Amino acid sequence: MFRLRTGRDPLWGELDRLQRGMDQLFGALSGSRRPFQEPFWREAQLFPLINVKESDASYTVTAEIPGMKTDDLEIKVEGDLLTLKGERKPHEMGAGASHHRRERATGTFQRSLTLPTRVNPENVTATYKDGVLTVTLKKEPAAVPKPIKIVSE
Amino acid sequence: MTDQEIQAAPKQELSTEAGEFTHEGTYFSPAVDIFDTERELVLLADMPGVSAGHVEIDLRDNVLSIIGKMAHEGEKGDFLLREYRTGNYFRTFRITEVVDQSKITAAMSDGVLKLILPKVEKAVPRKIPIATE
Repeated sequence: MFRLRTGRDPLWGELDRLQRGMDQLFGALSGSRRPFQEPFWREAQLFPLINVKESDASYTVTAEIPGMKTDDLEIKVEGDLLTLKGERKPHEMGAGASHHRRERATGTFQRSLTLPTRVNPENVTATYKDGVLTVTLKKEPAAVPKPIKIVSE
Repeated sequence: MTDQEIQAAPKQELSTEAGEFTHEGTYFSPAVDIFDTERELVLLADMPGVSAGHVEIDLRDNVLSIIGKMAHEGEKGDFLLREYRTGNYFRTFRITEVVDQSKITAAMSDGVLKLILPKVEKAVPRKIPIATE
């Protein structure tokens, strides 16, 4: 019988993970991934939502992840792939507490981004302040735009 | 169920037709958890990007308002990807007489505001001992 798989179905998570694995494999083989693109068929919103800014010398990736302990947060850079991974634990309330409202999402998350150029992991810094994670990635010197002087003859 | 993956939800922006805001800026409604224990209500509000000094809590006429102000960004650079917007936070709650308003406490850390609203003494369930004659 046909069963509709929605975003919350545990099997979806598995297919997701499989797709990510396949993606990375194909990406490594083809080397032509579009930057910051996720597979087009993905309908569910990914957590955390991310903003990326570019300046001449670096990329700044920010994500809003309030209430995390830095121990539960992991950031990896491999080649041109940045991965944010972690677990947002629910607030410990002890036995006998009931909830009137539960809007804050908890659980595990993992998100990878392809950066447009290669980045040296040595040049990556991350800070977590007031619930905002900021990852600054310095571009490889070759990727920094350099003005070329024009000499008139 | 901590092996469940989180889904992201876009931030709820407050509609300005409510006509309440005389301040400049975008306002979002923070995601909130409200827990109820025997002795108190605990309210947690997600306000990432807001530091402790920029939170205001107003309590009047049995209405509790929480306001979180974002410090201005002002970083240089162009957006390559923009999945979320930033702004201030605002949300109100009606407090019933179960809460002892004089004992409300608040703490802010890592973008999460935690409000503890203790219940009035007589609202705390108590067992009444029965004396045998």
